[in-house]
Amino acid sequence: MNGSFKRHITAIGLVAVALWTAGCGGSTNTSSTSTDKGPIQVWTMEDSPSFTALMQDFTKQTGIQVQVEAVPWGNVNDKLTTAVASGNGPDLMQVGLSLLPSFESAGALLDLSPYVKDHPGLQSSTYVGAVASDKINPSGKVLSVPWVSDVRVLFYRSDILGAAGISSPPTTWTQFHDDAAKLAQRGKGKYGYYIPQWDSALPIEFTWEAGGKVLQNGKVTFDTPEFRAAADFYISFYRDKLVPTASDFDQTQGFISGSAPMVISGPYLAAGIKSTAPQLDGKWNVALLPRNQAGTSLFAGSNMGVWAKSKHVGASLRLLDYLAQANAQLNWFKTTNELPTAKTALADPTLTSDPMVKIYTNQLQDAQLLPLVPKWDKISQAMLDSLNSIVLKGSDETSTLATLNATVSSLQT
Amino acid sequence: MTATAARHEAPARRFAFRTPWRRSTLVPYFLVGPALLCLLTFSVLSIFVAAVVSLTNLDISGLADYGQVRFIGLQNYQSMFGDPAFWEALGNTAFFVLIGVPTLVIGSLAIAIALNFSRSRFFRALRAFYFVPAITAIVAISLIWGNLYNSQFGLLNWLLSTVGAAPVAWLTDPTIAKFSVAFVAIWRGSGLDIIIFLAALQAIPPEYYEAAAVDGADEWQKIFLITVPLMRFAIFFVTVTTLINWMQFFDEPYVLTQGGPVHATTSMSYYIYQQGFRYDEFGFASAASIVLFVIIGVVTALQLRNRRNADV
Repeated sequence: MNGSFKRHITAIGLVAVALWTAGCGGSTNTSSTSTDKGPIQVWTMEDSPSFTALMQDFTKQTGIQVQVEAVPWGNVNDKLTTAVASGNGPDLMQVGLSLLPSFESAGALLDLSPYVKDHPGLQSSTYVGAVASDKINPSGKVLSVPWVSDVRVLFYRSDILGAAGISSPPTTWTQFHDDAAKLAQRGKGKYGYYIPQWDSALPIEFTWEAGGKVLQNGKVTFDTPEFRAAADFYISFYRDKLVPTASDFDQTQGFISGSAPMVISGPYLAAGIKSTAPQLDGKWNVALLPRNQAGTSLFAGSNMGVWAKSKHVGASLRLLDYLAQANAQLNWFKTTNELPTAKTALADPTLTSDPMVKIYTNQLQDAQLLPLVPKWDKISQAMLDSLNSIVLKGSDETSTLATLNATVSSLQT
Repeated sequence: MTATAARHEAPARRFAFRTPWRRSTLVPYFLVGPALLCLLTFSVLSIFVAAVVSLTNLDISGLADYGQVRFIGLQNYQSMFGDPAFWEALGNTAFFVLIGVPTLVIGSLAIAIALNFSRSRFFRALRAFYFVPAITAIVAISLIWGNLYNSQFGLLNWLLSTVGAAPVAWLTDPTIAKFSVAFVAIWRGSGLDIIIFLAALQAIPPEYYEAAAVDGADEWQKIFLITVPLMRFAIFFVTVTTLINWMQFFDEPYVLTQGGPVHATTSMSYYIYQQGFRYDEFGFASAASIVLFVIIGVVTALQLRNRRNADV
């Protein structure tokens, strides 16, 4: 407690001082030719040993040295702020799709549109439709290109569902709720499903599934019958006591122990289960999301962008080309279970022959991005806080959602 | 030998004699200077800068291109006072202060008096034991307490289950979480306060107690009529510093609950942190930090004035 506040005040102050002095430094992108040999610096999210291993192959092919620094997800924003304020960033940077708007408004990423012609790694046609250039970039610019994709599917414990008399995973909202109710009857500490309380994407997925849209005329709105249906569905799991209320409930542990035999998550959960509980092999599986009007899932994942002040644009572009190749994307999938974004990689037999991956790729056909608006973090947090105060503190649904709508519209004026 | 030493000393003494005025006035400034300079740059200047920033719309895009920074007057303050989360954070901070400060001051004083009864090896070990939380890294503390409190596999709930009690949602129930988080902070803060009280206790001359014993005072009378009154300055000091610390309450909510569940443990400092470093709204965060600064300033000034009036 001691002094930490003072640190923050100081940090805010220093940031402001940096702002006054930062104007002096000029930015020049010295080279963009194929003779650029780096070395280039790459910031990735977590898992830097795997990325470093991948880079050895790249260095062998091109002679370009790559320094990899892993930035934990939780620190991305701090790291971005200091990099923007000081002007000292990497050459290439992995950017989570949810953070893309703040990177763009910070002017942290270089517009790559002049280079698209000569670099297949930058071309929209290389990647699956949902992350096509026009969907993830402001008009006319190419600030980042897709790297890994992540799509939410339903994970279920076939052994536990079978024992409860459920022969196949739920395919509709009604079945989903009914199955969860059956599973929750197994006894104390047993639930049907698990809702992560930090997961602001889930109510949005429910809204899409109810046939609605969150983004209307460039603005986020929750004042729709479809969002209300999503909220009702979300709340129903808590009201009927089908999900744990503890915010520190661990998803992977809960799935492995069988406490929460159904969860909605991405392929990385499969990697987590395989490595921590190999004994469960064959006792769990994945399925497409249960449908209401639609079965739309969240398309998450991350992109790669070139830092606006990079001095090694040429070498960075070559790395982007390399990362877009099927080989590199498949190697990455093998070590991390993160899905490729390149069409050629997704069509590769090593992926299509795996029944679980087939579900992922099928779900990818019906998946959307979260709204890429600058205030999304704040708006989605307000939405999540409202829903959680209804389910955890017993606030009135109608009036809480009315307050939420007012907050959301005032945030976007 | 002595002669040489005296001869060496002589010029220095003459020098000292010749410049008594300059030396006596400048030396203190030289000694205080570096600390003062640090204070001015890193505290006074940054508060001043924060005050200026609080009148602007500085955010991440302004950071990248300061041409986008505009003065917006008191708009940040206006929208902050209209934000229910701000008032909730203020209320939470008041709650933490009201729970934490009296418990810490009275508790630490009681423990210090108890520890002062003996200087045996056992009591010395106890003193070290009480000081350990104060020197343990907050990250380690959060890991340990996070696991103790965990609702799925935590030790506390396991202990409760062995006696047949229902599990408690230590960090996940909005009301209980406030107490759980405050308790960790009390546990962590007690070490330093106890050490300060122990030092003050040991400065009380034993003659007072001897005289009291001669007059037939019992242990309680000694504590309440001699120890506590003589500790007034130490109590005042500990109260002021503890109060300031708790008004800036940050570490425990940050590492244990991230301000949740649903803002229940969001203190003012954590609110400022979120606005500034999660949503990148530096102008807004500066405005909130100025408000907190003013509150702390007023409370501390009131305490100092009360003390002057009480004339102790």
